[in-house]
This record gives sequence, C-alpha cells and structure tokens, in this order.
Amino acid sequence: MIRSRFHIISFYTDFWDLPLVIQIALVIIVIAVCSTIIAYIVILTRRYNSYMYEKRLKNITPVINDLITEQVLLNESLQNEYPVDSIVFDPAAIGRPIFQKPWVRAALIKALLGYKRNFGGDLGALLRKLYIDMDLQNDSFNKIDSSRWYRKIQGIVELTQMEIRISDVTILPLTNSKIPELRVAARNAYLQISKNNPFKFFDIATEPLLPWDRLEMFKIITTTKDIAIPNFSRWISYSTNKSIVSFCLELIAHYSQHNAIPAVMHLIDTNDHFLRARAINCLGKLRAEEAEDKFIEIYTNQPINCQLEIIKALGRINSGRYIEFLKHEFLYSFDFYIRKNAARAIIRNVDIGSDTYNDLMRSSSTENQLILKHCSNPLIKY
Amino acid sequence: MKDILIIEDDDIMLKAINNILNKNGYKVVTARNGKEGMEIFDRGNFALVITDMMMPYTNGLEVISHVKSHDSGGEVGLIVVSSIGSEDSILEAFRLGADDYLKKPIMPAELLIRIKKILNDKSNSLI
Repeated sequence: MIRSRFHIISFYTDFWDLPLVIQIALVIIVIAVCSTIIAYIVILTRRYNSYMYEKRLKNITPVINDLITEQVLLNESLQNEYPVDSIVFDPAAIGRPIFQKPWVRAALIKALLGYKRNFGGDLGALLRKLYIDMDLQNDSFNKIDSSRWYRKIQGIVELTQMEIRISDVTILPLTNSKIPELRVAARNAYLQISKNNPFKFFDIATEPLLPWDRLEMFKIITTTKDIAIPNFSRWISYSTNKSIVSFCLELIAHYSQHNAIPAVMHLIDTNDHFLRARAINCLGKLRAEEAEDKFIEIYTNQPINCQLEIIKALGRINSGRYIEFLKHEFLYSFDFYIRKNAARAIIRNVDIGSDTYNDLMRSSSTENQLILKHCSNPLIKY
Repeated sequence: MKDILIIEDDDIMLKAINNILNKNGYKVVTARNGKEGMEIFDRGNFALVITDMMMPYTNGLEVISHVKSHDSGGEVGLIVVSSIGSEDSILEAFRLGADDYLKKPIMPAELLIRIKKILNDKSNSLI
C-alpha cells in the first residue's frame, strides 16, 4: 500500500492533496537542499578562483621581486648617490606587457607597499617613484572611485602609505562617511597627507569619533612628523560634535595649550556631564589655577564622575589653596573613590611626614589610614 | 671575511637585506625563523647576526641570548631590526647584549654604516 502510494505521489499530480504540514515540510526540504547546493557551488567556485589566483601569484611574485630588486634595491644610480628624482627606470623593464594586467598591478602595489613599510630614506623614495612612474597611483585612485567601501579603503591606504596627496574634494566627504571603517581610514589618511591643515575634517565632522578611532588618531597625530598642530580651542568653542570636542580636550592637555584655558572653562557650564568631566580633567592637566574657585563653587551640585575629576584636578593643580576642602572630603565623604582620590590629591599637595599629613593620619579611621598609606607609596603609580 | 647571518621571517625584508649586503661585498646566510637561525648559527662561523624581533617559534630576544651564550669572546656582532619601537623592547635587546637596534622602516645606507662600524669595533677589540 505504502509502496504504491509512493509511486503515485508526484509534485505535479498529488502534491496539493497532501496534508498542509507535509506540503510545508516538502517545500522547506527543497529550499534547504537547493540552498546547500548553491552554497557549495559558491564555496567551491571561490576556492577554485582563490587557488588559481594563488597559483598565478606564485608565478608572478618572482617577476615582481626581480623588478623591484633590479630597479630599486640594486639600482646603480642609487648606489652612486644620485638624487632620487633624477633616477630613471629601465623603460623595457617597467613597460613589460605583463605589468598592464590589473591583477599583476594589484600584486605589484602590494609588494611595493611591503617594501615601503620596511625601507625608508632614499630607498623608500625610490619605491615611491617606481609606484608613480608605473602609474600605479591611478589604480589606487580608481579604487577610491569604486562603489564598494572596502575598495575605497584599499585605495586610501595605498595612497597614504605611498605619501600621495589626495584632493580635499575626494577625501573630505569620506571623512564623514556613514561607514565607520571608511570614515576612520579617510580621517587617518587626511591627518597624514594634509600637512597644512590636517584637522580640517573636524569642521565638517557630524559622525562621532569612536573610542578606538580616537586612540588610533591620537597615535597618528603624536607620531606623524611635521604635522601642523592648531589651537584646538577653536573646536571647543564652535563644534557641535561632542566627540570632536572631547577629543580636542585630550589634545589640548597633551600639547599643553594654555591659551585654550578660557574656552575649556566655558565648557564647565555645559549640560552634558560627561563632557564637563572631561573639561575638568583637561583643566587639571593644564594646571589651570584660575579654575579652582569655579570647581569648588560647583562641586556640591555635580554628579560623582565630575566630583571625582574636580578632586583629581585639585591634586594636579597642586596650589595648596584647597587642602582643607580635600581633607574634608577625605575624612567625611561616604564614597570610597572620593576618599581615595582626595587622599591622592592631598599627597600631591603636602609632604609625607609634614604636620598636616601626621594630623590627618591621627584623625583618620583605620580604613582612611590604609588609603592614605596606600596613596603615599611612591612605587604605586596611578 | 666571515659570514653575516640574517634571521627574518618577512621574505621581502630577507631578500632585500640579502641583496643589499651581497651587493656591498658581504657573504650572507639567511634563516626564516629564530629556531632555524640558531641552528645555522651553531653550525657556522659568523661575524655578525642581524635578527628580527617578532618571529615564529623563537623570538629575537631568545636569538640574542643564544648567540651571546655561544660567544664567550664577544666576537659576534648583533643587530636587531624590528618594527617594535617600544622603549622596553629596545632596552631588553641591549640588556641581553645586542650591539645595535634599528627600527623599521630602515635606511639601507644607515644599516651598512652600522654593520661596518660593528665589524670594525669587533675586529679592533680582538687585536
């Protein structure tokens, strides 16, 4: 009976007579089988393409290495200390038809970037010259024009590493892209390439600077040679992008821009308490004595993060004018972190073993004595 | 002239330094990782070892220790070439006995001058 039934069942004749659950199950099975087959075909095709690419790359890599070795590494003119700009590459070597193929050019760019990362000086400059003389920068610019964001990033990174200037019209819009990866690449590139006004994108940035991007950017700003450092108070006063303002506060503190103190003090009145805390932190690092009175005035109305920053700032400013205030916070605050930071601030303001220190030790609870001893230990870094 | 041993896991860098040194008349032996480098060092007679810091199997610091432990007379020069430029790694390399430390990207002309200076210093100290 069952066997005959199987013979009879056909999608064309009896499918609609089957119970609904079975119909759904059959459809799902067909979809699943088809999807699996398609997925396998895609995977196998990609693996085959990748295998073929690796195979071709294996054959072309020695050709590329030979080109770079002969034209750059063992260049006679370079050995004889001719200026890099006057060195001419062998037209027959760089004009070989193989170097017109897009995938070979892509591999050549990758190899040149690898060498450029490892070698500087005249050799690095000659690698750059080879990149330009073979018109490889056009390939990189074409990547920037691509509709795919990862191709754009590739182009930006290639041009940046080869120190090729990208016009503001091309790169500035990308610094405010909705795609975070592209935005970061464009901003980092702009900082490295634009020597005169590398922070211009701060003016148009509406997208936020993410914490990791800030770290990356901070590293680039502080390690790029000959970068023009502006007065960051400009963005403190006019930017509506809070992450830019916050980042500028870090830069102001890093570059000790004391002329930015008035602009930073205005930020203390902002409604955003995270930004306010950063402003207080910045003023502390700048040792802005003129801000101390304001700190004490607003202290009681502040959330805990701002109170902590005020106490830290008083410690950093180290004027000694608000020792009594710090002592009071240390002795009577219910918050452990307030007491700990007040202890640190006191230690910065008074000598260990002085009368003030000894008095404080005597009048403190056991826990506070431990905090004070801990903060007095010069081996413990904060 | 004794040989120079280059230990570097980056093929590009290895070939490039090899070419530059060959071109300048040095005889060079290469190794692609620290372990291979130490084995070659034990079998050969080298005047100078140029090593990378970050390598598979055995890192540059282990290579320095190995070279120094097998070079009681202090005859072998040691140059570290690395992309790590942190104070700690530089100090650690010098503490273990490196003669010089070059941070990538390197300038070939500078590398050649440093090699020449170390080889001269070592040969003078033996006289």
